[in-house]
Amino acid sequence: MSDDPVSTFQFLGLTFSTANVVSGLVVFLLVVAVVFFTSRKLAMKPTKGQNFLEWLIDFTNGILKGSIPAGDVGKFGLWGFTLFLFLFLSNEIGLFIQVATRSGATIMRSPTSDPIATLTFSLMTMMIAQFAGVWKLGYKAHFANYMKPFVFWLPISIFEEFTNFLTLGLRIFGVIFSGEMLLGVIWNLAVSHGIVTMIIALPIEMAWQGFSAFLGAIQAFVFVTLSSVYISQKLELEE
Amino acid sequence: MLSHLVVGQTLYFGDSLFYIISFVLLMWIIKIFAWGPVTKMMQDRADKISNDIDSAEKSRTDAASLVEKRQAALANSRSEAQTIVSDAKFNGQQQREQIVTQAQADVQTMKQNAQKDIEQERQDALSDARNDVADLSIEIASKIIQRELKADDQKALIDSYIEGLGKQHES
Repeated sequence: MSDDPVSTFQFLGLTFSTANVVSGLVVFLLVVAVVFFTSRKLAMKPTKGQNFLEWLIDFTNGILKGSIPAGDVGKFGLWGFTLFLFLFLSNEIGLFIQVATRSGATIMRSPTSDPIATLTFSLMTMMIAQFAGVWKLGYKAHFANYMKPFVFWLPISIFEEFTNFLTLGLRIFGVIFSGEMLLGVIWNLAVSHGIVTMIIALPIEMAWQGFSAFLGAIQAFVFVTLSSVYISQKLELEE
Repeated sequence: MLSHLVVGQTLYFGDSLFYIISFVLLMWIIKIFAWGPVTKMMQDRADKISNDIDSAEKSRTDAASLVEKRQAALANSRSEAQTIVSDAKFNGQQQREQIVTQAQADVQTMKQNAQKDIEQERQDALSDARNDVADLSIEIASKIIQRELKADDQKALIDSYIEGLGKQHES
């Protein structure tokens, strides 16, 4: 896949990948649609859509409550909800819709199968963690945390920030990217020898698609969970 | 710097900017359309439920106190009824005794009156008989002795006789 030509365009002196922008925009619109249509006619007695939305909010709040102290969960609730919904739909959309131009350049796939997207979200988590730490503990206590349990721990603490950033972003990218790549491989197998391979490949394709859908949900969950863990680490004083 | 770092994928930093902006925008849209109203509704519901629980508790204690009050009123009315009944009994007893004594007194006076009347009648009858006997004896005597006697003398004679008769009768 990496040999395929990539469609790019220039805007404000920055290079954009068409695939990322288009699929990101599609996921954006999907999230807005889901949230918009489930939040119509809110009532004290919830109906179908509202039930789903409230369940989802309770679910993401539950993830955050697992690690962030109860008093601070409310401040990260919206962020956790948006992140989970966006990542979940990003992970799943590439399993069902993949569009390429005639020349072979992909313009529509999972946004999370590109490291730049996942690393962006990972970076966002790290920045929120830093800001939350400063906001909760103040500059002095926040940066003193890097020198716990003793001063020589400082390089390890800083290095840990980078590894957290990389592993958080690359974990989700690896799973989704490999999932889509294998889907492509199975597709190539299916079209290689006509109708026979098509029939053989169909159940494999279906099984892998189902498994990838499962993995996509798990990865979205894991991303939000780990993000809240990283944030909660910055919210408390280390002993 | 990070280009071609990961499995030959090229990184376009414009995309990073695009994702950050779209994520922030998404958060804003979700906050306006869903997060704000829905969390408010959930909070309202939680408040309502706790209010309902409180008011249910209150109405339960109200009902209990009301039952207590009713029971007290019932006991009160029962004792009141008892005093009313006993009062009525007492009054009835008193009235009955009054009526009986009144009747007895009445009977007594009536008896006395009757006795008096009887005595009067007897006296009258006696005097009548006395007069009759006097007239009759005068007639008889006049017829027997064929002599004209003065009625008054005769009467005195008869009276003395009758007196003696009455005394004899009484003894």
